[in-house]
Amino acid sequence: MTLDPVARAAIVAALGPDDVVDDPVQTRAYECDGLTGYRVRPEIVLIPRDAEGVARAVKACHRNGVPFVARGAGTGLSGGALPVADGVVISLARLKRVLEVDPVNRRAVVEPGVTNLEITAAVAAHGLYYAPDPSSQQVCTIGGNVAENSGGAHCLKYGFTTNHVYSMEVVLPDGELVTLGGDSAEQQGPDLRGVFLGSEGTLGITTKITVRLLRTPETVRTLLADFPSVAEAGEVVSDIVAAGIVPAAVEMMDTLAIEAAEEAVHAGYTVGVPAALVVELDGPIEQCDTEFAQVKAICDAHGCTRLHIAGSPEERAAIWRGRKAAFAAVGRISPDYFVQDGVVPRTRLAEVLGRIADMGDEAGLRVANVFHAGDGNLHPLVLYSAAAGETERAEELSGAIAELCVELGGSLSGEHGIGTDKACSMPKMYGEEDLAVMKRVRDAFDPEGICNPGKVLPTPRLCGERPGKYRPHPLEESGVIERL
Amino acid sequence: MTLTALKPASLKEAREAVLDTTGRISIAGAGTAADWGGRLGPVDAVLDTTGLSGVITHNPGDMTVSVHAGTPLRALQEQLAEHGQHLSFDAARVAAGATVGGLVATADAGPSALVHGTLRDLVIGTTTLLSDGAVVRSGGHVIKNVAGFDLSKLLHGSYGTLGVLVEVVLRLHPVPKAIGTVVVECGLADAARLAGEVLASQLEPTAVEWLSSGRLLVRLDSTEEALPARLDRLTRLLGDGASVASGSSEASGQSGAGADVWAEHAALTRGDGGAAVVRIGVKPSLLPGVLEALPASTVSAGLGTGVATVSVPGRAVAEAHAAVHAAGGTSVLRCRPADLGAPAWGPPPSALAVLKAVKQRFDPDGRFGPGRFDPWEIS
Ligand SMILES: Cc1cc2nc3c(=O)[nH]c(=O)nc-3n(C[C@H](O)[C@H](O)[C@H](O)COP(=O)(O)OP(=O)(O)OC[C@H]3O[C@@H](n4cnc5c(N)ncnc54)[C@H](O)[C@@H]3O)c2cc1C
Repeated sequence: MTLDPVARAAIVAALGPDDVVDDPVQTRAYECDGLTGYRVRPEIVLIPRDAEGVARAVKACHRNGVPFVARGAGTGLSGGALPVADGVVISLARLKRVLEVDPVNRRAVVEPGVTNLEITAAVAAHGLYYAPDPSSQQVCTIGGNVAENSGGAHCLKYGFTTNHVYSMEVVLPDGELVTLGGDSAEQQGPDLRGVFLGSEGTLGITTKITVRLLRTPETVRTLLADFPSVAEAGEVVSDIVAAGIVPAAVEMMDTLAIEAAEEAVHAGYTVGVPAALVVELDGPIEQCDTEFAQVKAICDAHGCTRLHIAGSPEERAAIWRGRKAAFAAVGRISPDYFVQDGVVPRTRLAEVLGRIADMGDEAGLRVANVFHAGDGNLHPLVLYSAAAGETERAEELSGAIAELCVELGGSLSGEHGIGTDKACSMPKMYGEEDLAVMKRVRDAFDPEGICNPGKVLPTPRLCGERPGKYRPHPLEESGVIERL
Repeated sequence: MTLTALKPASLKEAREAVLDTTGRISIAGAGTAADWGGRLGPVDAVLDTTGLSGVITHNPGDMTVSVHAGTPLRALQEQLAEHGQHLSFDAARVAAGATVGGLVATADAGPSALVHGTLRDLVIGTTTLLSDGAVVRSGGHVIKNVAGFDLSKLLHGSYGTLGVLVEVVLRLHPVPKAIGTVVVECGLADAARLAGEVLASQLEPTAVEWLSSGRLLVRLDSTEEALPARLDRLTRLLGDGASVASGSSEASGQSGAGADVWAEHAALTRGDGGAAVVRIGVKPSLLPGVLEALPASTVSAGLGTGVATVSVPGRAVAEAHAAVHAAGGTSVLRCRPADLGAPAWGPPPSALAVLKAVKQRFDPDGRFGPGRFDPWEIS
């Protein structure tokens, strides 16, 4: 099946040839996102210049029944921006304006193609910043962040994208332009803004976003601490929480992750230690000081072997450079790797890490761990060599780890999304009826099913068989929740 | 015609009650917001959620709790306090016994929404019963979770029109070790100017509210060691008229020094007996102008959030909606004098068609909460 020529002509005409890419060589550049294992070449790529252009493009697709996929920077890690065969990609790359900075109301209005970091750059002069900080913040777009409800290291204290967006202008799948949300948190009926956030491009395309800005904290204290075991480091996290402290960030790295990061950026981590924690506190000076002293004491009480306190903004930046580089750096110690993104209740961190290690041993593969310890969001990196024929085994292990997180009362994904990658695992986390009601939401926004089809919700075409009979949720089996 | 009274004590009973009843159903919690929103149309049954009560699981180490939706938040807070934790949420009607489900369904919030957000930011999972008997679970027990559509958000502010909240999972925070409030006796214009200075500072207030009794309240949540110095800096910033509040009578329903002024805040937010109470939200900088123009007898106004609650004569409700709408904001009628015919909502949002489509898919026969979104005709 190829795209009907009449439909093609109508879609191209909606924007005009300057805003269309349909040369098969050039459209290749859009065939995947950060999950490069999945590739589909789109038939047409549209690059509109403004919201009206996006609306015209979507209307043309809608009228002709052609599926479309929105694309930001293409850094997504779950195949959310994977094109649909014979479909259209709508790139937001040209909607790059910061439309308004309003320091009095502590908000900014931006177009979706603005990168996460550009928002902070545009408002920093007013002593403000945009809080959610995905590691990809230099390149990923705010439109992609809204679609994924992206998080970052500082989301433990400050929350995720959803907590920092007042409203969005959205082109609905039929091409209508509407606003979801409002000028304050006061709502007019059900929170459509909230359900759109994190819907992974399946409910429409955002063309304008009003983000909430925070005042930069008066002070920031950061430490890097080494521990004799992952379990000890985990206990430090628990004790910090039990002391009633809400750190800005708590990140953990294991031996392999540290080794990789050091090799890549030489940030001053200790190669060879079993576990390192990055703990950051921020806020008014008096408060930050007293709590920071408590955190140091807790580290010492758990056999901390080295405590490095950032003495300058440069030293702090170095600590974070090491942490944020860990992902990509793993490429230095392994030819290939898969990143997982499961979440467990924080109190089960030690248990899940133990089981991941066992599973890795069993599969004969190494797993590096670098994760948001404060909120239980793991990022196990399954290392393998495609050349050595380990791909399938690694993929299996990676999937099993995500499903293990669900079994322990957590989630398949903390921030990277379900996309194409984990749609078929959704029945592990939700029952048939749960998924059917999610489908009702999708249908309410997109009755024709043309807006990023095949993502998030499992489909028979995608996952082979029809989803089976109702199986109890793992939490039901363990007695934590009851259904009926 | 008699109303059927349904009072299920479990999800199973709730589902049976909904399936065994024909016709329209009003979903009721503790009744603390029974007449908020549009006037309820004729119903055949009332489903009382207060039999669905109590904590399901609380794991203090994870700082999450799951509860049956009919649990009064006040009771939950008492239980959580034993672990030094709480839900960072302080809507005025919590003290009156409001249930967790009712607070979610009405999208209510209090002063600390400035920092902690509203319940849409604090609810991490829900179990909801739809009118056709479908039971849907969304979210989960972890604070970070992007798997699937966040149906909890749709229930937030749904006013009992989409489904019955049966279970709710909440994210918790540590109870602040020390709380202090600085009070400045002043009018709205001065309060707005001072609020601007506080919000531009790095003193990190948890709440910045003005009361029509002529007071600006600025609250700090802190550690004990840090509180005196932080209060001192705040008092200096606010100038001569500023002082640290001390009153804390038991009756206020709030704890800590300065509780009395927050009890006054809650009373003003509940409104003036016979008057109509309107909740409004606009950009914070526009709030003083909107408020000055309204014939309000009581006001509590979040100068950092842009959310205010006012009591106005019934005849001024339509005017209030219009003024808020003109400022780009949103408004809803809360309490209404019995004979008031004024509309509960201002002009509908641009996404009205989506709201209608969601209602159609969730409750195709229009069984739940008829009339709540009138005059928009989606329920
Ligand atoms: C090295 C690396 C580190 C990362 N670290 C983090 C991290 O710390 N935290 C985190 O949360 N994520 C992280 N990510 C994942 C990724 O950066 C985020 O998911 C990001 O939000 C994607 O933005 P994007 O602009 O690249 O979107 P894309 O990948 O282009 O698209 C992502 C999804 O959003 C949809 N979409 C894009 N724009 C719009 C729009 N305007 N309207 C509607 N839908 C739209 C797409 O259809 C797709 O489904 C990381 C990725 C990499 C490669």
